[in-house]
Amino acid sequence: MSNLTHADPHGHGLPPEGPLERATLEGRNKITLFWLFLGAECVLFGTLFATFIALRNSTLGGPTGSDLFDLILVAWATIILLVSSLTSVFAVQAMHSHQVGKMQLWLVVTVLLGIAFAALEIYEFQHYIHMEHTFVSSAFGTSYYSLVGFHGAHVMFGVFWITTLILQIMKKGLTTVTAPKVYVASLYWHFIDVVWVFIFTVVYLMGIMG
Amino acid sequence: MSDQTINSTVRKKHRHEGPRNHVLAFALSIILTALAFLAVSYTLAEGTHVQHWFVQMFIVSLAIFQAIIQLAFWMHMKDKGHGWPIVFIIMGVVVAFTAIASALFWVWY
Repeated sequence: MSNLTHADPHGHGLPPEGPLERATLEGRNKITLFWLFLGAECVLFGTLFATFIALRNSTLGGPTGSDLFDLILVAWATIILLVSSLTSVFAVQAMHSHQVGKMQLWLVVTVLLGIAFAALEIYEFQHYIHMEHTFVSSAFGTSYYSLVGFHGAHVMFGVFWITTLILQIMKKGLTTVTAPKVYVASLYWHFIDVVWVFIFTVVYLMGIMG
Repeated sequence: MSDQTINSTVRKKHRHEGPRNHVLAFALSIILTALAFLAVSYTLAEGTHVQHWFVQMFIVSLAIFQAIIQLAFWMHMKDKGHGWPIVFIIMGVVVAFTAIASALFWVWY
């Protein structure tokens, strides 16, 4: 513990044996209010889901979900995102035992899996566009790309965010300032995975069933 | 064992939850996901006569269950001191479900 920087000279924090991300009042507030953001994200994705559910059969004579979606591809995307959620858990656990190198390694693995997921989704969208399923082809197209695209954009933002965190920690080390950032980023990443659980169920599996 | 050793053992136990619960949550997530995929491929296979609405209800329940597991274990919502996170998420989920219920109502009636 002694090699860690504690930016908490006024002693607002818990005793140093608590988790590093909760050592300062600022860190604790950051985590609590990040959950408010996640609550708002529930609303955002909830409304996109509602739109999709209402319009999923309005294909305007174009391809339907069962024409387009491929179980194997969706299964791969699901496994990649699920494993990346687990690796971000490992990163936080390494942080809790103050193994900075290990934490950085798991964060890099998480980022790489996130990139793989995004690449798979770009390939998928390209494939659909060739099958005349575009953002403007039907109400189904618009609601599909809004929902799944918004999720994909969240994944890409997460990749960018965690990459910048890795770089910042390389420069500044693991401190009471950087630790809450890692914790909050891992919350964000898990949330993206939770949203994907509903996307593969409602959009893909129910789409394939027709 | 001196008092100090006991204290540090307790402390250590408290701080390092260990990967067991998290790996267990991962295994459960994989199983629930596999169940959903299998249910759908079984329904679509030749010669099976399963009600589609039943399978849809089934896979949505699996998704809700998996979401709860991930929120509780991976996002630590089961740990103490998560009162506000629970309030915030429930608020979000209530609005989300209202929107989804309205959409379903609009489509069905």
